[in-house]
Amino acid sequence: MDMTGLNMLAGWTVAGDTIMIEQMPIFGGYTGGVEETAICDVATTLASFALFCGNFHLDGPIHIRWGTTMAKETLQVAGWACAAVDANTDLLLANQYYPIAGPCTEMCLLETAAQAINDTASGRELLSGSAAAKGVVQDKTTGMEARIMGNAAAATAGMKVSEVNEILGKLVPMYEAHYTDAPAGKTFQECYDVTSVRPTKEYLEVYDKAVATLESVGLDMSRANCSGIRVCKN
Amino acid sequence: MAATRFLTIPDVYERFIKGKKVPEADWDYKIIPQNASALKEKYNIKIDTFIPEDKAQKDALFQAGLEMLVETGFYCQDLGRVLKVTEEEVWEGVKRAPKKLILGEGRDIARFYPRRGNSSVKPIIQGGPTGSPLSEDYFVKIMQSYAQEGIVDDLVNGVMTTVEGKPAKSKTPWEVRATMQELRATKEARTRAGRPGLGV
Repeated sequence: MDMTGLNMLAGWTVAGDTIMIEQMPIFGGYTGGVEETAICDVATTLASFALFCGNFHLDGPIHIRWGTTMAKETLQVAGWACAAVDANTDLLLANQYYPIAGPCTEMCLLETAAQAINDTASGRELLSGSAAAKGVVQDKTTGMEARIMGNAAAATAGMKVSEVNEILGKLVPMYEAHYTDAPAGKTFQECYDVTSVRPTKEYLEVYDKAVATLESVGLDMSRANCSGIRVCKN
Repeated sequence: MAATRFLTIPDVYERFIKGKKVPEADWDYKIIPQNASALKEKYNIKIDTFIPEDKAQKDALFQAGLEMLVETGFYCQDLGRVLKVTEEEVWEGVKRAPKKLILGEGRDIARFYPRRGNSSVKPIIQGGPTGSPLSEDYFVKIMQSYAQEGIVDDLVNGVMTTVEGKPAKSKTPWEVRATMQELRATKEARTRAGRPGLGV
């Protein structure tokens, strides 16, 4: 924490704002390996509420080499830390999304789906994303990535965790094999009609292919249509 | 010992300025890795799946994390000092945290409630670029592409790279102007998508 953050919190708490505390533990950094990073993730999640008056916590374990939240190790940190806090408190827990590949690629959609599956089954309450192309390239994010995030989450909700672990064990290696040659993808302007704000036929076909791949590893994506209704809306 | 009350932000500041002076390099390279490694051994934490399936494994990791916070404290890099907090104070903070939040307004609200494990209720889907850089010219359209997805319950905006053609550089008036313009543009996007009450 720095003094700028503390001073902003002083204002927000008095103003009655809803406060989200964001924290992204780095796997392979100061905290070390998967277990040590998960321990620090639990510690800082608790600190967000106990010290900094957070109302909900936005996690984001990130891989020091690949700059993604969807590597096997960072999914494990997020999955374990969330499940540990969820099993012992009623705190509101969220996670954020940084795939390596860019929009309009199957790899980007599979990366995003994998984290949505992991986050949902470990008990998170809110999924925030997705910042495709590691969130660093201008205009390389679109609503289609949020579509796969939401539908994969809805399809996962209510499944047995052991089944989810099996699905992730098949899905994650499929995209991790391509970290060194990950497709850059397209900008919003290249994969949407910017006048009507509709995705191109090409992107819809890529999306359908990603859904088929998710089905092939055992995720019943048709569940998204009924499970989605059970979100806590009006 | 029981806590006097939950900690406020001024309480935290007072603790920081009275905390022990520690060089940032010692904190990063010695204290954090050594303490985390010791707790991994103490609680026998072994992560070999994506998500733990056993309650005892979850509890062990939770206790290790709680002990990490209480025994190690929290660092303020501007002050170069470490704050200490008791376990009782951590629990007071947990109790104080809201267990229910409403995001958005009117018919477009999303209710942010604890799911407790892999509930059949899906999580809230907060759609958006999550801080990715967006061009000024396409900001509204890109945000609309999220707001118009039926599965999206809430919005998170991207970062506008320029305002009136000027870079939104940190610690300049353009940064503040860009932030306010991002908010206006995101509200315009949700209205264009027919969901004017989506949380932003």
